[in-house]
Amino acid sequence: MSKLLEIALGIVTGIGGFLEAGSLATAAQAGAAFGYQLAWALLLGVVCIAFLVEMAGRLAAVSRHTLPDAMRERFGIAFFLVPLVTVALVSFLVLASEVGGVCLALQFASGVSLRWWTIPVVLLLWLFLWKGTFGLVEKGASLLGLVTLAFVVGAVRLHPDPGKLAAGLLPSLPHQDPASYWFMAVSIVGASVSPYLFYFYSAGAIEDEWDEDYIPINRIIAGLGMTFGGGVAVAVLVCAALVLHPAGIQVDRYEQIPLLLASPLGRAGFWLFVASLGVACFGAALEIALQLAYLAAQGFGWRWGENLRPREASRFALVYTVALPLAGLLIATGIDPLKLTVFSMALTALSLPVTVVPLLVLMNDPDYLRERTNGWISNTAVLAVSVVACIVALVAIPLELFGS
Amino acid sequence: MALHRMGPHRMELGREVLDQQVIDAHDRQIGRVDGIALELRPGKPARVAYVVVGGTTLLWRLHRGLAAWVERRLGGEGHPARIPWRQVVKIGLDVKVAVEAEQSPASRWERWIRDHIVSRIPGA
Repeated sequence: MSKLLEIALGIVTGIGGFLEAGSLATAAQAGAAFGYQLAWALLLGVVCIAFLVEMAGRLAAVSRHTLPDAMRERFGIAFFLVPLVTVALVSFLVLASEVGGVCLALQFASGVSLRWWTIPVVLLLWLFLWKGTFGLVEKGASLLGLVTLAFVVGAVRLHPDPGKLAAGLLPSLPHQDPASYWFMAVSIVGASVSPYLFYFYSAGAIEDEWDEDYIPINRIIAGLGMTFGGGVAVAVLVCAALVLHPAGIQVDRYEQIPLLLASPLGRAGFWLFVASLGVACFGAALEIALQLAYLAAQGFGWRWGENLRPREASRFALVYTVALPLAGLLIATGIDPLKLTVFSMALTALSLPVTVVPLLVLMNDPDYLRERTNGWISNTAVLAVSVVACIVALVAIPLELFGS
Repeated sequence: MALHRMGPHRMELGREVLDQQVIDAHDRQIGRVDGIALELRPGKPARVAYVVVGGTTLLWRLHRGLAAWVERRLGGEGHPARIPWRQVVKIGLDVKVAVEAEQSPASRWERWIRDHIVSRIPGA
């Protein structure tokens, strides 16, 4: 494959794969409640995830190790268990959120309650992983995910004031309801910096057999893919700020959310919203279920690979075969998918130091990266965002849960 | 590097061997180096006897009481694979051993799950 095509596909993957239940819900909620004021949190999260994805790709290209693989051998089993369990737990909650998102899209489309959709949705997701290849999951889901560009069209049609949007990119203190403001801020960061993104990316780099020649390609894909992807999330925030915020509509009124696109784009907008939600969450669910299997298999040294048949990597296949129905079960119990999503994103932010610091240690270890170790800018940026997000989450989550 | 081609050489077992990926003769992953066993010989220097893969080895490194309990419950199923050091052919990105995954006790669970669960699902 030519390098140019590979770069283009990589960027498309970043754009089509960026939006999922978490980034959609948090951006919509923030826009509805605070207008453009929380755009800075989105910017912070996108910069941070671009750095992290680039690192995971560089680690794989130089050391030929996936992230869990390198962590296990560098830190030993006792320490490795901490990020392993944390990432698995957070990813599982995010997986359930994505399953909930697909079911919610089907509820919008059919009028049948989302709980009834869990079984067919889980079965279809599982079938994709059972029969599909890595290319199908990664490229297929992201190409379909381009439907989420509808939000960009919607945002442009609403004629946002660029000056006001730019002002939102600078952090500012809230005029009202500080507890919910900070909770949303950390949820947005958590949604952008979901660990499944860079864990999945590192496994993908190994599945695609990257070597050191891929370092420049990796930098372009990570940088542009995540930036443009983040642009789609900004578009969601703009739509919410211009449609829901002036009308005083909160996102937890489910029947109102499709207005995000129905308002600027009419009847087609409703269906574009439903398709965006369904496709984005479906693609993300595939990636997260697969990432859980990667995590366990690479950490414990089992045979793995989405291009192998299930019988050739039985423990690997068993992980997603068990994880998907469990995630579906959580949704079928009637838990509110939106609350679950936003809460999972805040938890992700809280757990960032645990998932990010071991990666940073590896990225500064010449045993793995030789002369390609991190520079101080990426180290500082990622460390600062994770530590600050964790501290704010530590305060904001109890306030949100128990009221102020 | 292939071990038999190496001259006198010092190797830090904890850094270069422990917790590394183990692959079989056909480059199939079969587990990780969960433990390393030394043979203590009276009057002579100790030497590495085998690398230990799977079973309850990992648990022993995490929690002795839990490991002992699991071992009693599982009996022979909990026994790890002991791969003699002379069968370790290469230590590089992975630890390559002259073993067939299909026959090795290290792949016991992989085979059991394949035969009893995964193969029974259509399309596996």
